[in-house]
Amino acid sequence: MKLVSAALSLVLASALPALAHDIPADVAKSPPAGAFKAVSSLVKLPDFLPGMGQLFVDPASLPAGPFLAYDHDGKLVSTIYMLPIKDLNPDKRFDDLASPGGNVDHVSVYYNAGHPGVEEPHAHVVLWHVAKADEARVAK
Amino acid sequence: MIVTRRRMIEAGGGFFLAALLARPALSAGAVIDVEMHGKDDGAHVWFDPIGIHIEPGQTIRWTNRDPGNSHTVTAYHPDMFERRLRIPVDAKPWNSDYLMPGETFSVTLTVPGVYDYYCVPHEHAGMVGRIVVGVPPAPVETATAADPTPLPDIALDAFPPVDEIIAKGIVRKA
Repeated sequence: MKLVSAALSLVLASALPALAHDIPADVAKSPPAGAFKAVSSLVKLPDFLPGMGQLFVDPASLPAGPFLAYDHDGKLVSTIYMLPIKDLNPDKRFDDLASPGGNVDHVSVYYNAGHPGVEEPHAHVVLWHVAKADEARVAK
Repeated sequence: MIVTRRRMIEAGGGFFLAALLARPALSAGAVIDVEMHGKDDGAHVWFDPIGIHIEPGQTIRWTNRDPGNSHTVTAYHPDMFERRLRIPVDAKPWNSDYLMPGETFSVTLTVPGVYDYYCVPHEHAGMVGRIVVGVPPAPVETATAADPTPLPDIALDAFPPVDEIIAKGIVRKA
């Protein structure tokens, strides 16, 4: 029994660090696979947005997303949902939003006044796949 | 009868002349710069300055200084998205389309009066501005139908009063 426990511990010890940073290969590097398009190719916005990074979205999922955000090296840093404020009401739900980016380190939620693509005031819900300190990778 | 907000603002027309005598408009001939700004997280966006007084024939140049967003500068005019007129009747309307960071757009305003403008994606965030050119004509109250595309309160509340713009020359967002 002790042997089994030890073996299980060994397996978990080796697997957990990998899981903690595991990002699915199809979205780990930009451009992501599938129907994702660069936001800057869809609307008139800079290709790299300070504070978020280079954004990709499946146009069919607008406005909520998910938007996949990458740093200057093309590595995934966050998954962002953009939820119109007017839709945060008793009669509307956002269910089953895709979350292709893997493990989440922490979450940020903040108000945005709007921008091309999601013109109306909305909330950004940011699932960070990197540590807090690594948010700096997309700061500028 | 509905009295438009501009008419209400202009109702104190007698004050304008006194203000004009006290402070000349910005120096004739100079290009006047207005910048478009936004916070890093996009929570706040604004024109700076938000109100400006110029002489007829001067040029206003808008520059997008917001690295994370694009903005427009668009006159309130029926030819531009069928908005109610908020520039002088004889003035030519404009729409910059989206300006990317660092891009500029200029117009030269020759007709005296009050010009209100906005940023298309950010009107609902109160991103509007006002230019007073020369001595605005005396206000004329007219009956108007309800505005089919009314401005949001946050935009209406953001316009500096005309008399304040004339008195100060430049008004920045508080």
